[in-house]
Amino acid sequence: MTAAIWVAGLTRRYQDQLALDDVTFEVAPRSITGLLGRNGAGKTTLLRIMAGQEFASAGEVHVLGASPLTDESVLRRMVLVREDQSYPDIRVGQAVKVASWFYPNWDAGLAADLLADFGLSPRRRVRRLSRGMRSALGIVIGLAARAEVTLFDEPYAGLDAVARQVFYDRLLADYAEHPRTVVLSTHLIDEVAGLLERVVVIDRGRLVLDADTDDLRGSATNVSGPAIAVAEFTAGRPVWGRRRVASQESAVVVGQLNEADEVRARALRLSLEPLSLQQVVVQVAGKPVADIRERTSA
Amino acid sequence: MRTWLAVARGHLVDRKDYTSVPWGVLAFAFLVSLIVFAAVPMSAGSDRSTGAVSSFYIFYFVLGILSMTRSLPFALMLGVSRRAYFAGTALLALTMAAVYGLGQAVLQVVERATGGWGVEMHMFRVNYLMPGPWYATWLTSAVLLIVLYLYGMWYGIVYRRWSVYGELAFIAAQLTAALIAVLAVTWSHGWPSVGRFFNTLTGIGLTGLLAALAVMLLAGGYATMRRVTV
Repeated sequence: MTAAIWVAGLTRRYQDQLALDDVTFEVAPRSITGLLGRNGAGKTTLLRIMAGQEFASAGEVHVLGASPLTDESVLRRMVLVREDQSYPDIRVGQAVKVASWFYPNWDAGLAADLLADFGLSPRRRVRRLSRGMRSALGIVIGLAARAEVTLFDEPYAGLDAVARQVFYDRLLADYAEHPRTVVLSTHLIDEVAGLLERVVVIDRGRLVLDADTDDLRGSATNVSGPAIAVAEFTAGRPVWGRRRVASQESAVVVGQLNEADEVRARALRLSLEPLSLQQVVVQVAGKPVADIRERTSA
Repeated sequence: MRTWLAVARGHLVDRKDYTSVPWGVLAFAFLVSLIVFAAVPMSAGSDRSTGAVSSFYIFYFVLGILSMTRSLPFALMLGVSRRAYFAGTALLALTMAAVYGLGQAVLQVVERATGGWGVEMHMFRVNYLMPGPWYATWLTSAVLLIVLYLYGMWYGIVYRRWSVYGELAFIAAQLTAALIAVLAVTWSHGWPSVGRFFNTLTGIGLTGLLAALAVMLLAGGYATMRRVTV
């Protein structure tokens, strides 16, 4: 299967700063991928280059088989909803109407439903909207567009937890009916963990993790208990970090644990707790790159 | 082409900037001029022309700037290419200019028929540039509007790409080019022939010159547009 998005050796330099450093990965068609990373990691730059809004210093991006910079037909099948999206001075309803002209699969019913869900009146001027409401408008357009490649860059800024849940539910429901390629950048990782089929983590412009979410689940386990028992259990296993308080220790063991391991842990009076996606990403994003590659491949 | 039309329509979604506002500005300028000329007694040989119509042209220039600064990020969000956005916007400018130019021509006809609105005012009969007849005025007015809009677009694009310093450099570059031209003419003692050229230039010739300028602005604007990021 050919990739919906193909990124190879992508580098973006801003004067003295390297925003993206030799990033290579693929996104499968009809999938939801989480683009994760800390603030300033390069997520927005990466998405902007994918959508043809920014230029690469080196490397290539192909979307639906062609470069978004040279092939307009590819752009026509994309939408990028940005956290800092700015709009002309028009009304919400007008913005939605204009957007509908650009997408053949536009779903006006969905747009109306979403506006109602977010409590967004079409009569309001976009300029007067609060940050959260402006984010909601971006989400409405991004979902109703039904674009083959849908890119969301932290689209929930300023939205409350209820509204964010509306977004996740709607995204999943609409995705189920109309599968498409979705890339969602976020740092609210645990909130979206259930949505993501794959995660791509970048840190300081570098790709540090590119894996299926299913593979990551249970890929690291927090082992805690008496220090001696922890030391016995973790001997010979790759470990991501230890913390010790008095005679108690906890360590993160990398790699799937099998039934025998669990039995042994119980015998040693150790408690096992699989790391959440967010914890895995935090572990990965906080480390030197070489270190991570070695350990995640272990 | 479908995308171009959608871009043009997009600009008109909140259409008062292209309808009531410029005509309102013009109406206000017209009324002010009319009152002034009604108050000033007529005397033989006095110049009773007003430059108030320029307000409309200046507004069109500003619209050109706004078209590139305000709506561009929204268009690019919707997967519109730089090329399509530029072409669609220029298409809109062209269409509107044709309509407005006709408006100017009609008002000129009315002005002539009413003896300068009853007070011998020359507002829509612009000396040298648009003396008439109506179809020449239509053409010249439309082309001038396009030139101004495209010029505004270029300013807007430069601002988007390089912000304030870029704008300053852009203006400085134009002044430098103008300075070089002036010096070149001066050193070659060319001013008399320049004067002759413009004196003998017909209205249509001038329009042709403006059209050539429009093509240059189109090319320059598009070359800059290709490097714009949002």
